[in-house]
Amino acid sequence: MSVDAAHLSTALSAPVRHETGATKTATGAFGRRLAVLALRQGSMAVFIGVLVYFSIAAPYFFTVGNIGNVLGQSAIAGVLAIGLTIVIIAGGSNVVTGGIDLSLAANMGLSAAVYASLLQAGQGDAVAIIGALGTGLVIGAINAAAITLAGIVPLLATLAVMNVVAGLELVLTQNTVVPASSDFLSAVSASGPFGIPVLAYVLLGFAALVAALVQYTPLGLRLYAVGEFPEAARAAGLRVKLFISGAFLASGLCGGFAGILSVSYLSGSTTGAGDMLLPVVVTALLGTVFSRRLVPTIGGTLLATLFVSSLINGFQLLNISSTLVSGVQGLLILLVVSATTLLQRKGNQ
Amino acid sequence: MATSVVWNEADDIIRLSDIVKRFGGAQALSGASLAVRRGTVHGLVGQNGAGKSTLIKLLAGLHAADEGVIEIDGTAYASLSPQQVEHLGIHFIHQDRLLVPTFTVGEALFLGREPRIPGTPFLDRKRMRQTSAEILDRYFGLRLPHSALIGELTAAEKQIVQITRALLDNPKILVFDEPTAALVRREAELLFTLIRRLRDEGITILYISHYLSEIVDLCDTVTVLRNGRDVATLPVKKTSAKEIGALMVNRDIAELYPKPKVLPGRPFLELDGLGLANRYADVSLTLHRGEVLGLTGLVGSGAKELLRTLFGLETATAGTVAIEGETVFSASPAAATAKRLALVPEDRRRDGVALDLTVSENTTLASLDRFGRAGLLDKGAEKRQARELIERLQIKTDSADALVRTLSGGNQQKVAIAKWLSRQSEIYLLDEPSVGVDIAAKVEIYTLIGELAARGAAVIVLSSDIDELLGITDRVLVFFRGRITREFISAETSPDQVLAELTGANETLRHVG
Repeated sequence: MSVDAAHLSTALSAPVRHETGATKTATGAFGRRLAVLALRQGSMAVFIGVLVYFSIAAPYFFTVGNIGNVLGQSAIAGVLAIGLTIVIIAGGSNVVTGGIDLSLAANMGLSAAVYASLLQAGQGDAVAIIGALGTGLVIGAINAAAITLAGIVPLLATLAVMNVVAGLELVLTQNTVVPASSDFLSAVSASGPFGIPVLAYVLLGFAALVAALVQYTPLGLRLYAVGEFPEAARAAGLRVKLFISGAFLASGLCGGFAGILSVSYLSGSTTGAGDMLLPVVVTALLGTVFSRRLVPTIGGTLLATLFVSSLINGFQLLNISSTLVSGVQGLLILLVVSATTLLQRKGNQ
Repeated sequence: MATSVVWNEADDIIRLSDIVKRFGGAQALSGASLAVRRGTVHGLVGQNGAGKSTLIKLLAGLHAADEGVIEIDGTAYASLSPQQVEHLGIHFIHQDRLLVPTFTVGEALFLGREPRIPGTPFLDRKRMRQTSAEILDRYFGLRLPHSALIGELTAAEKQIVQITRALLDNPKILVFDEPTAALVRREAELLFTLIRRLRDEGITILYISHYLSEIVDLCDTVTVLRNGRDVATLPVKKTSAKEIGALMVNRDIAELYPKPKVLPGRPFLELDGLGLANRYADVSLTLHRGEVLGLTGLVGSGAKELLRTLFGLETATAGTVAIEGETVFSASPAAATAKRLALVPEDRRRDGVALDLTVSENTTLASLDRFGRAGLLDKGAEKRQARELIERLQIKTDSADALVRTLSGGNQQKVAIAKWLSRQSEIYLLDEPSVGVDIAAKVEIYTLIGELAARGAAVIVLSSDIDELLGITDRVLVFFRGRITREFISAETSPDQVLAELTGANETLRHVG
């Protein structure tokens, strides 16, 4: 890295004065900033407001035990949402043509089934882990190929892959529960330090690792450039398709990883993994409102994961029908996507 | 090939010789040459379609030449790849600024060559921030808040960021493609000062612009392209904007314009002080029945926006529009068509016709209520109308049931006009009506425009082809930076007069404040 201002001093010996209001940014930017601020602060306020309400209405809500519970329960969705976030970063946040991976939940289901089936077949945890991660990676590779080689939009490509994967899971498990137990699985689903589930630590650790990679390395910066403005990325010498493929591989891997966590959490592989899709999409989209630039970030996604899980947990504690949760999640998607789309459109004017 | 100045060849950093480039049947370049002397600012001008952008894309490695040689710094290349171009130290400052809007200035500057915190894989954001702030302040006097995002900068600020990005790579050659298109005058002056300084420090500049006044101000040498070849390379000191303009204009096809003599009738459309914020201001004109009025102007001059306003696609922010003395307010295309206005848009394949409908369906598309019978479509009446129009406009099609997609460009354009004839529209707004059609079809379209006027309609033609415009209109209004700066009587005007006005060659530049 030898880029610095040194050679510029020969190119330009004296400054050219920029007279036109040097510190003034474009008109309209202020209004947009204000709206973004309102959206962010508003979301935070709603988040905190909901937590306070639950704490008052259901005193058990705000206890170390329950918070640990929430974290543990959200581990699987959180890992999937982090995978989806990577894809949205690299594919762009346009809801129709941008990055999305609908196959993530089904991927988790199949990976879990592979893991449980391998244990049933007498294999050890190491083989099962490789099997589950490998399954996720292959699914990611198929997505990547369909999108970058065949040129299908991610929304459609991953929808197709989702159905194929869900079908494979049915074939493998005959639509039944495949129980699985091992020392490793028990260790992961156990309670860790401070009585908080190990799964909670796994989520936090994983989020920290991916956040370091995505928010703090050149790789991450380039990933954002590819998603936000592919032409600019190309002009900067980046190989756009390579980054997009990489993002889908990473997301596939997240699916496999979430599969392992789910086998541990549920002591086996169960059907109905597809139900996980909606909360994961809500989480990843909701995460964007926690960022100043209204872009997906790993930190924002982690916050959103906790919000969505608290919501589900709070509803349970208050004995509100769980069928309502789906409706609330659908509403959240509509709200978040309209707000960010409107603001982005305003920003582009 | 008519190079009137011969340089010592060793001094040329870029030499493009006898370049030929075809796209399908169309010949974009037919033996163009360009020699740029080291350490100079070299202008490149030409009308739309003269081959400027093709030549630049060849230099950028985006196209490969069919014939000819490219020499950079004394080495000959059959073709270049974008990577090679960058390696050779050639950088492009694009019209559309390629910067990620959600990035900070530091991130945008260093994308692709990010500094890392020593000994870690992590971005050195502090260094990115400090270095970029330091460079921008020291060399451009530009101070931006640390957190400023690219999307929040003005066009001029973005351009400075883009130039800085190129400078970080220590370039030998900088190519500016219409850099002032989005700048106001003061910002453009700043850019010129900067370009001269870069030249004085030894960087060679290739400068492409429509504004001839800029070329004369800024460049040392200018090459004029016309019809895919270079017609002259001149030292700017020994020429003038008018002479350059005259060289750009094509004089070969002047006899193409059959213009019937129509005496203008009663005033039909009257605009008084019409304005659209930041686009154009103070447009007043009267259009008579039987009159063909020409509009022309560079991209962003406001001419196209005026047509869009008249058709209800934009809402005027000042002034009034009156049709036959009655003030009208067209807030939507539906309201405009009801007032007998018709727009034939520039991109006819996208906006002008429905490619996958038949000729018959297209011709009646804007007037379907005339063909209804008890809520159903009277297919017989529709077809009779279509046949009549096919006959009248001499649309070359196998039948009224052929898909419009199968027609030639010129015939598609006739269908786009037929749609409004069926609607009995009387004020025709034609946006670049002959773009992309062959010469024979052009003449047919011109004849059709003449017929419309002869039948008492009023026609406004917006075109960037000045020969065409003078050939088919009665009057031509020139837009420059948002205002009508000049009115010409077509029959008494030569193309270079219009071009000089259009490009601001004999203007002190004006713009809408």
